[in-house]
Parts: sequence; structure tokens; C-alpha cells
Amino acid sequence: MARYLRRRILTGILIILVSLVINFMLIHLAPGNPISLLAGKDNPSQEMIDALTEKYGLNDPIHIQFISYVKTLLKGDLGYSIMSSEPVSKLIFEKVGPTLLLALTSILLAVVIGTASGIFAARKRGSLFDVTMNGLSYVFDSTPSFWLGLMLILIFASKLKIFPTAGMVDLRAQHEGIAKAVDILWHLTLPLITVTLIQIPYYFRIARASVIQTMSEDFITTFRAAGMKENKIFKKYIFKNAILPTITVFGINLAYVISGVAIIEIVFAWPGMGRLMMTAISKRDYPLLMGIYLILSVSIAVCMIVVDLIYAVIDPRIRYD
Amino acid sequence: MALLSIKNENVIYKVKNKNIHAVNNVSFDIEPQDSLGIVGESGSGKSTLALSMLRLLPKKIAEVSGEVIFEDRNLLTISEDELRDIRWKEISVVFQKSMNSLSPIHKIGSQMSDIYMLHNKTASKAEVKNKMTELLELVNLPPRVYTMYQHELSGGMMQRVSIALSLMHNPKLIIMDEATTALDVITQGQILNEIKELEKRLSIARIMITHDMSVVANTCKKIAVMYAGYLVEFGYVDDVISNPNHPYTRGLLKSFPTLKGERGVLRGISGSLPDLSVQHDGCIFESRCPERSESCHKEKPGTVILENGRMVMCHSAGRR
Repeated sequence: MARYLRRRILTGILIILVSLVINFMLIHLAPGNPISLLAGKDNPSQEMIDALTEKYGLNDPIHIQFISYVKTLLKGDLGYSIMSSEPVSKLIFEKVGPTLLLALTSILLAVVIGTASGIFAARKRGSLFDVTMNGLSYVFDSTPSFWLGLMLILIFASKLKIFPTAGMVDLRAQHEGIAKAVDILWHLTLPLITVTLIQIPYYFRIARASVIQTMSEDFITTFRAAGMKENKIFKKYIFKNAILPTITVFGINLAYVISGVAIIEIVFAWPGMGRLMMTAISKRDYPLLMGIYLILSVSIAVCMIVVDLIYAVIDPRIRYD
Repeated sequence: MALLSIKNENVIYKVKNKNIHAVNNVSFDIEPQDSLGIVGESGSGKSTLALSMLRLLPKKIAEVSGEVIFEDRNLLTISEDELRDIRWKEISVVFQKSMNSLSPIHKIGSQMSDIYMLHNKTASKAEVKNKMTELLELVNLPPRVYTMYQHELSGGMMQRVSIALSLMHNPKLIIMDEATTALDVITQGQILNEIKELEKRLSIARIMITHDMSVVANTCKKIAVMYAGYLVEFGYVDDVISNPNHPYTRGLLKSFPTLKGERGVLRGISGSLPDLSVQHDGCIFESRCPERSESCHKEKPGTVILENGRMVMCHSAGRR
């Protein structure tokens, strides 16, 4: 188990390093640069461009730039944003909370609702619930998330005026304490529903298929032949065996959602990292972009390690010693 | 009195508007401490017959009729609760593919204990663990198997675990469904000897389902030959093997080589199983039978009862 854990952590570190290199190269190879944006469109002077390029060290060959980036990174310094001149760590720190709130809550909701309904549908295979859920899962699976978000805004915010259209807090009210939490929850509802609805189909289908498959395993017949009650067989043996694929999907999805909620954040003007990332990309704000990517790859690597660990605890075949 | 008595049992699988007659009108008795080998080629209904006795076939697609009387109770009609009481305590099963006969992610010992506790609810933990270790010893397995997982054992070891599992409550009848088919001959020989030994000691009756004539010849008292869902011949192993009465049994016996005796020609049976979803007017074996006559095509043969409990389903039975 210790060896397994060590290997997982080493793989995680390797993934972070490789993604760091690839991201750095890609950003710098992409056309456009922050200097032309800083210098402005009207009448940029060559002297100014040269001075700015020199200031941000963009003259150096790319590998020298990379080495100096890693050097400052090792000191725990993510650098300064080119556009706002503020420390990257401060900019990210302000935005990471809302993103995690939206992403993690939606994942948890989707896992619980999707898996529970999948299991229920599998046990009542062919029932009205099963058929309806199956149909719905395809509908939501093929719905683009931004479109679903826009539709929800149109119906629940613009027409019915139940929920706010955008943002995370009511800017005109100065809520504190519980009132503030309620306000945030209020604003969270629509984006949360959007991201959750998009994810539920995966968990539903994985859980349903896995339970159906496990129910036909040979060992289930053994327990049945031994006189064990169906409920006990399900609780103790089918559930634990059938939940394994869900854990795998959970790990993959976790990574995907943390970086993938960006588009929903933009639709709902949710003040998360997604918007920060989009602005950083369009402005070619290299240090900020690198900082965001680094945080994302670290959180994804950590998620993967945690999921692998959970998997190993449940499935003895995974812990190769 | 018979321990288990099967009367006119039929199993029909209902799939996609087709009715597949997997078991047709099968009747036979098993006495206490009997050992019966059921042989026949793949798809002849052996496993279906065995699983149907304990109502282990999926209810939605399998329709079972007839009677399975076990100690005055019809297993096909008693309530689920009554049946659960009989399962494993009175009749246990060693399944095909024992490599998958337990959950891969639970410890073998805990699964064995779980099954033990089903019929001994009051047993203390230490008591159960002791009993399990004893059982493992009984089938020549080291006690450490208790804390191991299925993937850590070999096929032969898992087979022994399955056998230990089936012996747990000293049942009166064990059904072994291809229990040794997947093993090499040496392990198979060892396990068969152990089974015979245990049977004598614990006075258990056994139904052995197999393709392997030699296994039946060596370990069983009686033999039932099945073909396309019909019981075509039944009797004592010695009688049937030395003087097979049904053409199919003769064909089956000719398909296995003998170690002793003269060198003979090894012959199979040409053709394959008929489509079980269509009705057959005549004898089910007619299309492959080397001895067929006019009447075989038109008339279903009845079961002829000969001396010594011998049953043969053939027009020419007893006339030779």
C-alpha cells in the first residue's frame, strides 16, 4: 500500500511538471503577445515596445524564459500579472473560492443524484422510472451546457424572476453573516443546476450499467443459492462491486469539471477562475495564465491521487505490493 | 424413501417470442447418500435442470413446471422463506467457474462466515472463525486462505474453497455443476478422491453434472444421460456403461477412449443438437440416430422401465 501511494504521488508530480512545460511552450508559441496589447493600437512607438519587451524578459530564448520562471516558482513566487501588475497569487486566490464552490458542490450533487437514480433504475429495470431516466439522460447528455444555462436564465430569471440572472452577490445590498450566505446560495442555484444537470447522465448511466452487470455475476448466484436475502446481497456485495466504475468516472470528471466550469461562469457572470482565465488568454497575460494552469494541474493531480487511494482501499486487486 | 424426487419436470426459456424447451418431462429419484452423474453434451439441459431445482433460474424468462419433492416438500411451490431455509442447509451447490464464485473485493473468510451465519445466526465470531478454519483444513487448504482474496488463489484452490463452502452446513445433497471440469487431471483426481472420502464420512448425497464420462464412471453410483432436454437413459453406472441401451449413450461412450483393453475406433456422434424452440413429433434423437426406423420419426418414444431401476427412452429399448 505504501509503495502504491508513493508511486501515485510520483506520477502526480510528473504530470504537474510535464503539463507545466507543455503549457509554457504553448502559450509562448501562440500568436500575439501582451506587449502589443500594452502598447496600444494608436501609434505605438517602437521604443516603448522594445522597453516593455525588455522589461518582461520576452527577448530571451524560450528555454531561458522557462528556467527563470521555474526559478521564481521554486521560491513560491507566481510572478506578477502583466496587465494589472498585481501578484498572480493574489488574483488567483480571490477567484479560486467561487470556482471550487460551484464545481465541487455540483460534482457532489451529481454523484449522489446520478448514482442513486442509476442504482434505483437498475434494480427496477424496465420500469417507468428506468425508461424515463434513460431517455432524460440522453437528452441532457447531448445538451450544450451554455445553452442550458441560457435557457434557465431565460425561464427562471428573466420570465419568472425567481432567481437572479448573474453574479454571486447582490451588489446593492450589503449582506452580512447568514443573510450573505443565503444571498450567495440564491445566486448559486441556477449555475449549480446547470453544471449538475450536465453531469448527472454520466453517473446515472455508469451506475445503472454497473449494477446490472454485477447482478449477473456468478458470485451473486452463489449467495442466492446459499439462501441470502436479496437486500443483503445488494447492500453488502452488489453495491461495493458496482460502485468501482463510478469512482473511476468521478476522478476523471473531477478534473474535467474544475477546469470546465469556465464557460458556465461566463454565462452566469460567476466571479470564478473561468473568467480570469478567459481574460488572461485574450490579453496573453503569460504569468497569470501560467499561474492558473499550474493551480489547475495541481488540483487535478491531487484529486487523482485521492481517487486512486479510495479505489485501492475498496478494491484489493489494485494495490499491487 | 427417496431423498429427492423429480417428477415430470419441464423448463421452458421464453426469449424473443421463442419458447426454448430446455428440460422436457424429466423424472428420477435420488436416495440418501446416492451419487448421481448427469452427463450429456453442452446445451442438453444438465445445468438448467440442476439450477431449476433450487429455483435459481431468472424468474422472468424461465418457466418451470412439474414437481421437485425434497423430503415431502415441493421445492417449486414452497414460499421463498421456506426455500431459503433449505438452500445450503439441506442442498448446496458447487458452481461452474469457481474462479468467480465469490466476490473479488471481499475477503474469502468474511464471505464464508457470512454464508455460515445465514443458518447459524447465533454463532459467536470466534466460533465461526474456528469452524471456517476447520472447513478449510477439511479440503486441504492452509488457514491463511481465510484472510486472502480470490485473486490470490489458484483455480484449484478456489475450487476447494467452493467445496468447503458447500460442506459448511453438512447438507444432505450437494449439486456439483462441472465442479472439476476446469482443473487439470491431477488436481481433479485429488479433489474427486477428497469428495468421495468426505461423502462417506458425512453421509451426503451428490449430483454431479459433467461432460466427462470417466468422472462419472469413477465417482458415481448412478448415471443419468441427457439429450436435448430429455432424460434418455438412467440407471446404475455399471449397468449403463457395460450395456448401454440407448443409441445416444452408446454414441457417447464410443466418444471416449479406454485406457485398458483393446484399441478401438474413437467415434463421435455426427450432427448437432436439434433446435429446441420447435416442436418435434418423433424421437428427439431421431435425426442423429444410427439405428432409426420408421416409427422413430412419427412417434415419441415413451420411457421404458427395465430391471434394476433402469429407464430408457427409446422405441427399441429392451428389445435387444
